[in-house]
Parts: sequence; C-alpha cells; structure tokens
Amino acid sequence: MVISLLSPIVTDIGGGYLFFKDVLRSALKKWPRRELVFQQIWMVSTQSASTTALAGFFVGAVMTVQFTMQIKQFGALGYLGGLSTSATIREIGPLLIAFMLSGKVGAFTSAELGTMRVTEQIDAIRCLGADPIQEIILPRFLGIVVSSFFLLAVGLFMSIFGGLFLGVLFAGINPEEYLRHVPAIVKWPSLAIGLFKCFTFAVLLGGICTYKGYTTTGGAVGVGKSVVNTAVSTMVAIVVADWITSVIAESAGIIYMSW
Amino acid sequence: MIEFINLKKSFSGREVLRGISFKIEKGEIVFILGTSGTGKSVLLKNLVGLLQPDSGEIYIDGDRVDQKTEEEYLPVRKKCGMVFQHPALFDSLTIFENIAFGLRKHFDLEEAEITRRVEKALHLVHLKDVDKKMPQDISYGMQKRVSLARTLAIQPEVLLFDEPTTGLDPVTTNAINKLIFDLSRELKVTSVVVSHDMHCAMDIADRIIVLDKGQVVAEGTAEQMMQSEHPLVKDFLEEVERGH
Repeated sequence: MVISLLSPIVTDIGGGYLFFKDVLRSALKKWPRRELVFQQIWMVSTQSASTTALAGFFVGAVMTVQFTMQIKQFGALGYLGGLSTSATIREIGPLLIAFMLSGKVGAFTSAELGTMRVTEQIDAIRCLGADPIQEIILPRFLGIVVSSFFLLAVGLFMSIFGGLFLGVLFAGINPEEYLRHVPAIVKWPSLAIGLFKCFTFAVLLGGICTYKGYTTTGGAVGVGKSVVNTAVSTMVAIVVADWITSVIAESAGIIYMSW
Repeated sequence: MIEFINLKKSFSGREVLRGISFKIEKGEIVFILGTSGTGKSVLLKNLVGLLQPDSGEIYIDGDRVDQKTEEEYLPVRKKCGMVFQHPALFDSLTIFENIAFGLRKHFDLEEAEITRRVEKALHLVHLKDVDKKMPQDISYGMQKRVSLARTLAIQPEVLLFDEPTTGLDPVTTNAINKLIFDLSRELKVTSVVVSHDMHCAMDIADRIIVLDKGQVVAEGTAEQMMQSEHPLVKDFLEEVERGH
C-alpha cells in the first residue's frame, strides 16, 4: 500500500532529477539563442504582471490588517509599515509570485509542451537536426527564472502600496509614519532571503512544468493530466521548499540579523 | 538499402514488435500496412532513433544505426526524412521558417540558398503564396503538404511517411498519395509509407508489407497480395473491393 503510493512520487523525483541534469548539461554545452530566451521572458512577464500586481496589492493590504490588529494593543502602530513590508519581502512576496506563476505560467508551459509532445512537434525537432532541450526547454526554463525576479519587484511594490493604502484607511496612520521605519526594519538580509526564495521557487517551477510537459503521453487526456500534475506538484514543491529555505536562512543566521 | 533484423520492442511489458525482419531496396515505394497498434509507427521511429529497440539490428546502406547516440543519429536523420502523422508544424513560426528550420539545423547555408530551397520544396508540394502565413492560417491538408515540404527541403534519400493521409478527406487523400508517388519517382528517393490504406498501397506501392501483432505476416507486390491467404490481407482486400 505505502509502496504503491510512494512509487509514482519516487519515479517522478528520479525522472525530474535526470531531466534537470540533461537541461543543465545542455545549458553548459551551448547557451540557447538569445532571442528565444527574451521572447519567453517577455511572454512570462506580460502574462503574469497584471495578476501579480493585483494579488500583491491585496496581500499587502491583508498583511497590514493582520499586523494592525496585533500591534495596536501595544501602541506600536509606527512600526506597522516596517513589519508588514519585511514580512512581505521575506515570505509572502516570493511565495505569492511562485503561486501566481504556478497557476498561470506553469500550467500554460506544461500544456504547451504537452501538446507539442502529443502532436509530434518534439519528435519533428529531433528529426530536423535540433535538440529539443536547446530549442524549447531551456528558453522556457530561463524565461520563468528571469521573469520571476521582475514579477517579484512588481508584486512587492504593489504589496507595499496595498499595505500603505490599507494602513491609511484601516489603521488611520499617515503615509509618512507608515514608511518611516521601513528602512530600519527591512535590511538587506530580508531582501536576500526574498531573492533566495524567489530563485529557488522559480527553478523548481521551471523544472517541474517543463518536465511534466516534455514527458506527456496519451493525447489530449495526457495533456490535461500533465497540467493538473504540474499544478499539484509545483504547489507542494514550493511549500516544502519554503520550509527548507527558511531553515537554511535561519541556519545561516540571516533571519536573526534581519530582525 | 534499409534492413531490419529480428527487431523487438516492448512498452511496459507489452510486446509491440516481436522479431521483425525485412529489407527495403533503394528507390522502392514500400507500404507497411496493419491494424492500429501493430507497431507500424514504432518501426519507423526505431529507424530514425526516436525510439530505441530492445533487441535486433537496423542497417541503412550497410551502416548499423540502432546503437548510435543522439549526436551520431544526425546524419541518419538527414538521410531519412520523416513526415509525421500530425503535420507537427511549429505554431510560433511562419510556413517559411518551418520549412527553413531543418535547413538551418542540418546545413550551413546562405540565406539566399535557404530561400531557394524553401521555394522549391513548396513548389514540389504544389503550394504557393503561403510562406508568410502561420500554420494555423492554412487548412489541415495544406499543413500536411507543408510538413512534407519541410522534409523534402533537406533533400533526404529516404522518405518516411507515418500515416500521411489520416484525418484527410478522400480528395486530399488522393492528392497526397499521388504526391508521394510522383515525388518518389521524380526525386528517385526510397519511400516507406506506414498506412491503413490498402487501396492506395495497391495503386502505388512497389511492395507491400503487412504487420499483425508485431510480426510480418505477408510481404510482396500488389499482385502477390491478391493471392495471399492470410485473413488480415483478405480483410484489407475486401475493404478495397467495398471501396470500389
């Protein structure tokens, strides 16, 4: 029973590892064409910028509301902006971007590659003398990783704005006061943790969705299964990676320093 | 010359090819017929290295190809152009770029030469004024022709067709079959066609090979097929008679 449950997971992890190794080997051997990578960066960024901005705004707002309730009783509302922004940059921002990308870009990439697989486009690429990893996997993988940083910036900016907006509206704090302690509380380690998490999640997402799409079998039903598998696998992987990266950051003393 | 010797291939314990052996001579048009799931497409994919056989040998012009690495397969794929069951055109590229794709990868050609070869390939499949269009802007039958043009552009010595008329109406089916025959004779290439279409095979094939349950059950010219006592061949011939 346990073995039959674990077997597909272990097979997936093993297959994913070998696939990722192939992608890395291919990248080290030859860098993909620049225009293909830029095309993907542009596509991923434009596809997700508006939803990331919108979600970022409300996440910032929610954080502010939550912190307001906690710190109001201590009369420390002046620290609201700093605390809310720090938590967003270190934790909620990267997680939010990863979930956004997983829902939009991960599912899209998996469906696109799966369709290419079942309609024999990937076989055609091989028959025409090209390496599918170079032509379609690496540009998409790099597109997701690079654009996640741009989307992180958009999401964080909007979440700070959302937090500020709700801080003024909900807590009655003025904008200058809200922003005053941000530089004191949000130091470079917070940003470093955010960037580290963002990179880890993006690599996981890019790896999983390209792997699931590339290994699709079984026609239209297979494409559907790949998309669902991508959504589930990336969500689980991101949450697990969030815990691991937090532990790593704590071990490195970064969290301590940042507080 | 292409030769398969005792080729075997299984998927998840299911034997698809169970010891296939036959030869194809240079310049022949050979039809491989069989019902769905008998391993016809698997056979072609083994030939161009898209799949690896479990055992057996494959030779092209005396060169054993079944044990080659992905990089070593490049010359084989240049020699054996494959036309897939689906048009398999790249959605993000124009028709011109789709046809030029293989030329850019397999050869180091000047842009003018690429343009000339693309135009020639489109002319061979009787298409014009489509080079700037996207694949989704032309009909499925035209996409099939573009797919054939893309393969012809790399000037292969062997043309492999995987069910080239699947999903096409009878008129386009006849046009594609005529194209296969004309091109094979005009360009003097070897053509291997995987199909269900016995009617077409009887019309244009030099030789017909019938597969059943992963094995060769009948082999010969159209006339020899007419004499065959194998039940599957008889079923196929009955279909042809009903078609008439």
